[in-house]
Amino acid sequence: MVAIERACSLIQMHMNPAEAEKIINPLRQSSMPYQTCRFILENSQVPNARFQAAGAVGDAAIREWGMLTNENRKSLILFCLHYVMEHASAADAYVQLKVSAVAAQLVKRGWFDFVEAEKIGILIEVKQAILGPHGSDMQSAGISFLESLVSEFSPGTSTAMGLPKDYHEQCHSSMELNYLKEFYCWAQSAALNVADKIVSCYANISEEKVCSRALRFMFQVLNWNFKSSPNALDNSSSKSNSGSFGIKPDMGLLKKFERSLVEPGPSWRDALLSSGHMLWLLNFYAIVREKHSSDMLWFDSPLAVAARQLIVQLCSLTGTIFPSNDGEMHIKNLTQILSAVIEWVEPPNIISGALRSGRSESEMIDGFHALLSMATLTSTMLFDNLLRSLRPFGTIHLLATLTCEVVKTYVIKNDDEQTWSSEALDILLEIWTVILGRSGNDKKFSAEGISSASNLFSTIVESHLKAAAESVFEDDSEADYFHVSISRRDETLYAYALIARAAVETTVPFLTRLFSERIALLSQNNERMDPTQTLEELYWLLLITGHVLTDSGEGETVLVPEAILDGFSGVTEESQHPVIVLSWSIISFAKQSLDPKMRNAYFSPRLMEGVIWFLARWVDTYLMPIDAAKGQLGISGHDEGLQQHPQSSKKVLLSFAGQHSQGEIILDTIIRISMTTLTSYPGENELQAMTCWQLLVVLVRRRHVCIHLVALESWRDLAKAFANERTLFSLNAHLQRSLAETLVCAASSFKDLETSNQYVRDLMGPMTAYLVDISSQNDLKAVAQQADAIYMVSCLLERLRGASRATQPRTQKSIFEMGCAVMNSLLTLLELYKNQSTVVYLILKFVVDFVEGEVAFLSAKETSILVNFCLQLLRIYSSHNIGKISLSLSTSLQSEAQTEKYKDLRALLQLLTNICSKDLVDFSSVSNEAESTDIAEVSLMKFLSSTLLNVLLVSLQVIYVGLHIVTPLISLELLKYPKLSCDYFALVSHLLEVYPEKVAQLNMEAFEHIVRTLDFGVRHQDVDIVDKCLRAVNALASYHYKEKIAGKQGLGAKAMSSEESNGEFQQSILSYFLRLLIQLLLYQDFRMELAGSAADAILPLVLCEQDLYQRLVQEILEKQSNPAIKTRLASAFYALTSTNQLSSSLDRNNRFRFRKNLQVFLTEVSGFMRIF
Amino acid sequence: MSDEEHHFDSKADAGASKTYPQQAGTIRKNGYIVIKGRACKVVEVSTSKTGKHGHAKCHFVGIDIFNTKKLEDIVPSSHNCDVPHVTRTDYQLIDISEDGFLSLLTENGNTKDDLKLPTDETLLAQIKDGFAEGKDLVVTVMSAMGEEQICALKDIGPK
Repeated sequence: MVAIERACSLIQMHMNPAEAEKIINPLRQSSMPYQTCRFILENSQVPNARFQAAGAVGDAAIREWGMLTNENRKSLILFCLHYVMEHASAADAYVQLKVSAVAAQLVKRGWFDFVEAEKIGILIEVKQAILGPHGSDMQSAGISFLESLVSEFSPGTSTAMGLPKDYHEQCHSSMELNYLKEFYCWAQSAALNVADKIVSCYANISEEKVCSRALRFMFQVLNWNFKSSPNALDNSSSKSNSGSFGIKPDMGLLKKFERSLVEPGPSWRDALLSSGHMLWLLNFYAIVREKHSSDMLWFDSPLAVAARQLIVQLCSLTGTIFPSNDGEMHIKNLTQILSAVIEWVEPPNIISGALRSGRSESEMIDGFHALLSMATLTSTMLFDNLLRSLRPFGTIHLLATLTCEVVKTYVIKNDDEQTWSSEALDILLEIWTVILGRSGNDKKFSAEGISSASNLFSTIVESHLKAAAESVFEDDSEADYFHVSISRRDETLYAYALIARAAVETTVPFLTRLFSERIALLSQNNERMDPTQTLEELYWLLLITGHVLTDSGEGETVLVPEAILDGFSGVTEESQHPVIVLSWSIISFAKQSLDPKMRNAYFSPRLMEGVIWFLARWVDTYLMPIDAAKGQLGISGHDEGLQQHPQSSKKVLLSFAGQHSQGEIILDTIIRISMTTLTSYPGENELQAMTCWQLLVVLVRRRHVCIHLVALESWRDLAKAFANERTLFSLNAHLQRSLAETLVCAASSFKDLETSNQYVRDLMGPMTAYLVDISSQNDLKAVAQQADAIYMVSCLLERLRGASRATQPRTQKSIFEMGCAVMNSLLTLLELYKNQSTVVYLILKFVVDFVEGEVAFLSAKETSILVNFCLQLLRIYSSHNIGKISLSLSTSLQSEAQTEKYKDLRALLQLLTNICSKDLVDFSSVSNEAESTDIAEVSLMKFLSSTLLNVLLVSLQVIYVGLHIVTPLISLELLKYPKLSCDYFALVSHLLEVYPEKVAQLNMEAFEHIVRTLDFGVRHQDVDIVDKCLRAVNALASYHYKEKIAGKQGLGAKAMSSEESNGEFQQSILSYFLRLLIQLLLYQDFRMELAGSAADAILPLVLCEQDLYQRLVQEILEKQSNPAIKTRLASAFYALTSTNQLSSSLDRNNRFRFRKNLQVFLTEVSGFMRIF
Repeated sequence: MSDEEHHFDSKADAGASKTYPQQAGTIRKNGYIVIKGRACKVVEVSTSKTGKHGHAKCHFVGIDIFNTKKLEDIVPSSHNCDVPHVTRTDYQLIDISEDGFLSLLTENGNTKDDLKLPTDETLLAQIKDGFAEGKDLVVTVMSAMGEEQICALKDIGPK
């Protein structure tokens, strides 16, 4: 004992920990250390030693569980329990906690070994301790034991103990069915016991501790993942509720704040609802709170926190605990809680004042959480009405006033102390999003609600404008976490916009007014004072207006927001529609940026960014909307009986920027504005990126807009400037790429095929001509290495790449011409710039995109041109790069060089994959029109595919070189690695599937390379990669099996005797994979989504290696010591291969049957084979 | 377009110029830039603004390609930066002389004898070992702004 004590104190002082571990570890690992530990626990003065002893008891008992008699086990548990109880008041609580955790673990371990009476025997002692005749320390000890017990029984927090998942599941449900509620009631009565004393102020500290502990434990119980109420029943009942009573639980919505709904099921009704428990709790908190109202620190005391947490958790109570046919009880429950919670948050201005002067915010935040739970559970209408029985106004009004206060505090950013305001705002906005984000009738507001939303919105806008004006001279230091803060800002603005849309009738005119005031201010200004504040205000107004008027619609077709479409029912005149008025005023403001004088004076890059951002969203939503014509019909069909007004206001809104009215004029303006940003704001990359990536892209997205676009003079100017002038070369190179893509995209709108192609030729002709020109100069070698030449070439390559990314059926021809024209130049350039890695990369990327775009359209002849070109390209590339070592003093430059090499490799792999995809397509077309295709072409194809494999060999070599270089740098490369391996395996699996016979003819070394990478891939983490590898294995094995059946050699020597010096592939490759896969299935965390492809791979393997499979199964069975599991496993294996009329062929039906069998097998086996 | 070609040619004639002006906003990561008179490879570019409504400026972090020191610079993004002409030339390695100079074979058959071996031990070892093993080595020499250094090594001999 002394030795251990000394070791423990050594550890604590961080002296010589290794030495100390040497002494302690044997204790943990020795067999039957119970006596020693017991002795240490009872006699040692060093708490750390006691802690270690307790741990040792737990470890040993779980390890030797099978060897202990039932008596032994029970006495161990009882010893732990008694120890905890007796030392309940001792110092060093962590020792006691550890001991009770050990007891809990042992109880769980023996949960199904003990008979019911034994369990009760143990628990009864705990119960007595908790109920309190032995003093409050005992109570605390008892509750803390229950805490450990419950957390041990919830799957998320349990210790593994080397038991299968099944066991944990069974414990979980047994606990829930039999004991959980009882525990809850014990804690409840413990709390009740001491509550009186606390209320009357006689309680000492330990009694308060008991109370807060009990409450905390109850909270923990309510966090239990209840399973007993079956979900299906649950849903149907809540549905019927939502129809008639407005109770509408929405699971996903609480997730943001890591909380969930509580659904304990009907058996809990008496404990939680009918016993008056809730009322007691609320009163209790209120009374205690009253008492401590002068004490600012009390709100953070454990008792207060625990009580509030429990109350908030009770708010989320739902499901079958409430009688299913009657929402009344639930509503009553919510109202009851609300009446208590409202004290925490009301009146808002006083509370926020108190918070500013230093009171803890935790109570208010908890109050908001409670409101959020209620909003989640109820329909908007019901939510609003909850408060009406208590106050003259509805909940939404309260919410609005609260939000007002919080926003006001939020915008005064005294970052140090006021962080609570951002947390509070988050929750409040979440509530708004919940009640406003619903679809259909659920979000109808009362008039009062609308007016409070409108007031709230004006407060929000005004406070933010004020903040914007004040913050304008702060330096923009946010560059680092720029994107994070933008997406967060957008989220907030989106919530604001929802609030605004709840009251469109007032908020839109309000925005218009603010906007025109600012513009008027600018125009009166005539340079007397600094306009920057107004600019920032305008910038912010543009942002919020953009959010109010449009949805972001990422990846979806953007529609005019419903609220805006449905609002303004009285308006029939275009000039009076508030949304139109607002839009016009912004567009005409934006138009002023075309005037150089105005632009220099007022349109700062940042304001211009705002303008461009707004225009991009606006164009997407309002310019020539798709449903301008269609929408009318749909709606008139829908509510024909209603009055005419809403329809006509919709019509007005949808058609004012339509194809037949001002749409074209607006389009023209917008293009001119974009031209301005591209040419008149040199070096403003962010602004130009926004123009290229957001605004222009939106313009060419819809075909009917494009039709108008290409007819415009301004668009032609843009195209001309791009093709023939120098100005646009000053753009960042990747913006030029995007510009090229956009311009070429527009070509698809020409009616006539030839016009489209001519348009592309006009656009890209100068580029190719110039590139050819450069590459054929005489003094090329001298000139090419100069920085300006390199820059020029890079720009041109980026443009070509952009154009080829925009390949469409209509423009395919001209783009192929474009590519062919530069092929030779590219080869020259690749040779020339072999040492300029950036240029090399650009060339490769261009070819990748070019091949990807073109490959599907090409005829055999064109394909051969393309493939030959690629082959030459690869040869040049590999001749320069294989065997090359770059030398550098600087590690970071060195690693940069590796990264570049790496990107090159990826590009090469993509290129190969793209070419391969062509061949597949082509073979099918060849077989389809076998009559018309002459034999020469077929043989050409064969030739191509064999060259391809040679190419693969080359690339394999490249990859190996690459991998060798990269491995030492793995920390940096790790991030990029998955992408590369993904590309690689895509290629390999494709090749194996399509050309197994070619692979069989590969030489030994190359074949082993492939197999070894597959072996690596199968063990990979990424599902995608594993899937691809399984497909590859499947292809290999199937090929071999089919060939063997046909009496041929198949993989022949390779499958049989692929010996490896290190013994890894001692068996044949196929049997190696069979063993590997079976092991993966059984012993590792195998993902079910891979079951299908695993089945496909295993079936041919099993068929090829029947004997081995049988042996393998025997082996696995023999290893299993538990007879019950053994028989289950055996029958599962039997079922896998023998049911469902499985035959020994590889046709589709048979594969399908095997897939099914494997599914069954996995679900059966995973329960007891995997250890959790 | 003719305009540019002219420009292109004239540069070739000028030859002597060691740098070329390029707008700061168009210089990307992995490009080259001159910072404090040294040729650097750009390893990091970030942009910021002078005040919210001011103009953008670029912040470059570069690594000197010869002595690997880290250098930084801030330039308004519409201004021009100097970009060095960095060339890399391949030479076959003929001999390593006692006094630490390399003897290199140029493409047109002459020899180049003015390049010193690198001082860094590991680089030195890589070159010397390869040469001692009798491999046919091609070295790539990087030069910019009047300095030269070996930057890569390749074995072209038959396996």
